[in-house]
Amino acid sequence: MGVPAFFRWLSRKYPSIIVNCVEERPKECNGVKIPVDTSKPNPNEVEFDNLYLDMNGIIHPCTHPEDKPAPKNEDEMMVAIFEYIDRLFNIIRPRRLLYMAIDGVAPRAKMNQQRSRRFRASKEGVEATEEKQRVRQEILAKGGILPAEEVKERFDSNCITPGTEFMDNLAKCLRYYIADRLNNDPGWKNLTVILSDASAPGEGEHKIMDYIRRQRAQPNHDPNTHHCLCGADADLIMLGLATHEPNFTIIREEFKPNKPRPCALCNQLGHEVKDCQGLPREKQGEHDQFADCPLTSEQEFIFIRLNVLREYLEKELTMASLPFTFDFERSIDDWVFMCFFVGNDFLPHLPSLEIREGAIDRLVNIYKNVVHKTGGYLTESGFVNLQRVQMIMLAVGEVEDNIFKKRKDDEENFKRRQKEKRKRMKRDQPSFIPGGQFSPQALGSGNRSNPQTISNPRQAAFEMRMQNSTPSASPNTSFTSDGTPSPAGGIKRKAEDSDSEPEPEDNIRLWEAGWKQRYYKNKFDVDASDEKFRRKVVRSYVEGLCWVLRYYYQGCASWKWFYPFHYAPFASDFEGIADLPSDFEKGTKPFRPLEQLMGVFPAASGNFLPPTWQKLMTDPESSIIDFYPEDFAIDLNGKKFAWQGVALLPFVDERRLRAALEEVYPDLTSEENRRNSLGGDLLFVGKNHSLCDFIAELYKSSTTEPVDMPPELCHGIQGKLSLNENPVLPDQVVQSPVPTLRDLAQNSAVSINFKDPQFNEDFVFKAVVLPGAKKPLPVLKPGDWEKTNNNGRPWRPQLGFNRDRQPVHLDQSAFRTLGHAMSRERGQPGSGMYSNAAPLGAYQGNPYRPLFSGQPQIPKLLSNLRPPESWRGPTPLFQQPPQRYDRSSGAAPLLAWNRMVQSQNAAFQQNQYQGVGGPMNYPQRPEDRMDRGRQGYGPGRPYPLPPPAGRYNWN
Amino acid sequence: MVGEEEEEDEVAVPDCFRAYSETEKHWQARRAFLLRHLAADGTPAAARLDQLLALSMVWANHVFLGCSYSRDLLDKVMDMAEGITVEDSPRFTTRDELMRKYQR
Repeated sequence: MGVPAFFRWLSRKYPSIIVNCVEERPKECNGVKIPVDTSKPNPNEVEFDNLYLDMNGIIHPCTHPEDKPAPKNEDEMMVAIFEYIDRLFNIIRPRRLLYMAIDGVAPRAKMNQQRSRRFRASKEGVEATEEKQRVRQEILAKGGILPAEEVKERFDSNCITPGTEFMDNLAKCLRYYIADRLNNDPGWKNLTVILSDASAPGEGEHKIMDYIRRQRAQPNHDPNTHHCLCGADADLIMLGLATHEPNFTIIREEFKPNKPRPCALCNQLGHEVKDCQGLPREKQGEHDQFADCPLTSEQEFIFIRLNVLREYLEKELTMASLPFTFDFERSIDDWVFMCFFVGNDFLPHLPSLEIREGAIDRLVNIYKNVVHKTGGYLTESGFVNLQRVQMIMLAVGEVEDNIFKKRKDDEENFKRRQKEKRKRMKRDQPSFIPGGQFSPQALGSGNRSNPQTISNPRQAAFEMRMQNSTPSASPNTSFTSDGTPSPAGGIKRKAEDSDSEPEPEDNIRLWEAGWKQRYYKNKFDVDASDEKFRRKVVRSYVEGLCWVLRYYYQGCASWKWFYPFHYAPFASDFEGIADLPSDFEKGTKPFRPLEQLMGVFPAASGNFLPPTWQKLMTDPESSIIDFYPEDFAIDLNGKKFAWQGVALLPFVDERRLRAALEEVYPDLTSEENRRNSLGGDLLFVGKNHSLCDFIAELYKSSTTEPVDMPPELCHGIQGKLSLNENPVLPDQVVQSPVPTLRDLAQNSAVSINFKDPQFNEDFVFKAVVLPGAKKPLPVLKPGDWEKTNNNGRPWRPQLGFNRDRQPVHLDQSAFRTLGHAMSRERGQPGSGMYSNAAPLGAYQGNPYRPLFSGQPQIPKLLSNLRPPESWRGPTPLFQQPPQRYDRSSGAAPLLAWNRMVQSQNAAFQQNQYQGVGGPMNYPQRPEDRMDRGRQGYGPGRPYPLPPPAGRYNWN
Repeated sequence: MVGEEEEEDEVAVPDCFRAYSETEKHWQARRAFLLRHLAADGTPAAARLDQLLALSMVWANHVFLGCSYSRDLLDKVMDMAEGITVEDSPRFTTRDELMRKYQR
């Protein structure tokens, strides 16, 4: 669900569902990285059985990251993906199953969204490149210096779509990765791995759901399996709830807004491409060398505990005195269904329901009022009772008018407050703020703003004074730096006037009478009197609601169905929907990968397709040329930015698409034909797995029939196994598809085709808690805690997975040891004027090096030893003798780069004085000397070079 | 002569070319577009028919949805649609126009 606001809303309303991940970092010893042993107990004090990866959430950030420079080539991307999976694996440590699902071809219902994303991405990519080029030229023309332009081609993120060579290569790499880890990582020893690559149809998360649903429906499933699903989409929460499994946890990256992005031109943080000036970075603060790799920059992960969410929902949804018995599981399904009104990938959301305006709370309230009259629940196992839905919708419709009015009021109020705030800010602004080294700094804002020694204060003060007094000295004209007169204040007034940003024109005016007519006229281009057309829209929307719920609870009802409009109707239009048909055409088939590419790509991404196919996208004579507009309209629809608006793209006519492709099908090479075919899932196990011998036997006997998986060998997992044409087999070399990684010469893992258990077409997967499932211990404070069982004890909230988690604390001696071993500055960052000495290890270029690895204590003995390299690093400013060197460079203000050179000189010369205790020396504190000794120790240390990092073998 | 053929074809252009989401107004305009060119061609082959449908959609998408295509293609369909009047056709801002506006 493309609704980031949904998660924000959920985590604010139900805060206890979030648990921060505990992550054990790999340790390093003598420069050798020791991989974490993931077979050890999980540090999160919980054990997970199954881990499901929605791979597209991993592929995107690894191939075109937003907060760091992009990988140079495809190989680097693959390695980044491997490392990301390793990291997740280390946090979750699944004990039974790892399921990796890459998005395959999606149902037609999703195609419109995919199309709009890809058309936009393509345009954004071109724009970004153009801007980069433009700014680059400007800078070079001004004589700026930029890193040489890389030859690499722009990575078109559109290639992350099934059917492309990139996805094919990714599947290859993941097969190698799985085989490697099964062979070499102790945590994977007993694991079953299933890989569902892009050739298997279905969206990743829905393939995962299908797997869980089908396993639940077979008798050998363990009802107390602890599932963990990785992915950032909000709809994973819905999907997790829809399984009715008692132990379901979601893991995702913690969302941190406004993360700094490096400039795409010079790779520095702090400005955008359009502001890039090609300047060398200014030194900011003492430990500036870390600025490019801030210690906290790595993404953290959080768990979302659905069993806690279920507790919350139980409190909220439980209703007394119902005319029918209350069933919490059914009410959860209804809640999930109502969340779809607010937003999902397949339907535009209703204009009156905005998540930011508390739409879900409103729906729940209406639901609780109406449910007394409806006589039952809205949904059952993914099937919708339209009569009851109509009651809810019309109840929403009644307040629709008020919602729009209130929205307008809120907007006006917000604008007024903003304006007042700006006024206030302007009025209360101090008339003079010192700049440069005297500029005020926020307290406690961490490393970057540590106090700096003031250099050359008189000169700086003089300059500020001059700057400030010029306009007042000559009230009518001021002089620009080259002495030409310019009208005073001319530039300033302009900036003040641009307070009010241009408002997008709103010709719907939902808050004014006649809004419905205007909406239909503007959005659909029909008259209000066109009742027939309105019914059509409502009918499609109702079909959509039914389709989506079915998709979540039973699987894809129809691969062909889609919502054929760009906008939703109003809630008050849902009249007479009770008898609309809610069934779908049976036996529909998904598109093939290359067909789908033709359906979702703009002509600009045609390079991923064979030439004759590509021609269909650009040739004016083509019989499907209308699918590929070069530019399209964006309706901001009340929003501010282009990317928030509705892209008005034409819908694809499936019949004409298929007819056009029929003629170019013969042009496919055998390789393209292979990429175009639909595949299935692959199952992998290592040699210690009880299934390994069974599979090896199958290959020996070369049976052609699919064989049932013996559930007792694999934690009750069932399915059909059939021989793979190109398997990973024991004692056969697994070739590495990535040049930087080695082949697996001694492989013992095995792979085979896997097919989920099959059921009758009419089979209904029941949305119930399975018999034998144990309810997890409650986490939330019981409502009656004060009245009962407390014995006067206050309620202690639970922070992690374990109620009896022991808080860890250090005793005094531990603190003494820490204080002894760590440099003082590390313990108290930025304390005092003279804490400028760089922390331990700073000059070795590895800020992550643990304190105790390698050379404990020894540096103390070497405190006087000073290897010749040590002067090279930037030296703490306080060692710089004040005034003396500055004066020699004249009164020019110190620029970052020449200050650097000076301080190096200074330090170097000072070192020579040091031995004889020259008059220029500040008294040296013992710690300082010790630190320097340690710093210098690194480069010249007598240990042999560490062997290249690698994973160890456990067999 | 031309008029007669048009009348005949009015029956021959079946409503099955109408998309489900097409409003009456949009369909009538596109229908006129199709009629006019079907008439000239007599009975077109399936491929030609699809190409004509595509051109009619290019025109309709341009007029009713705000899509833009290559200059040549647009000129061609505008020529083909010469004389078909659309009353109060909607106005749009294309993505490129929007981006240019923001850059300023």
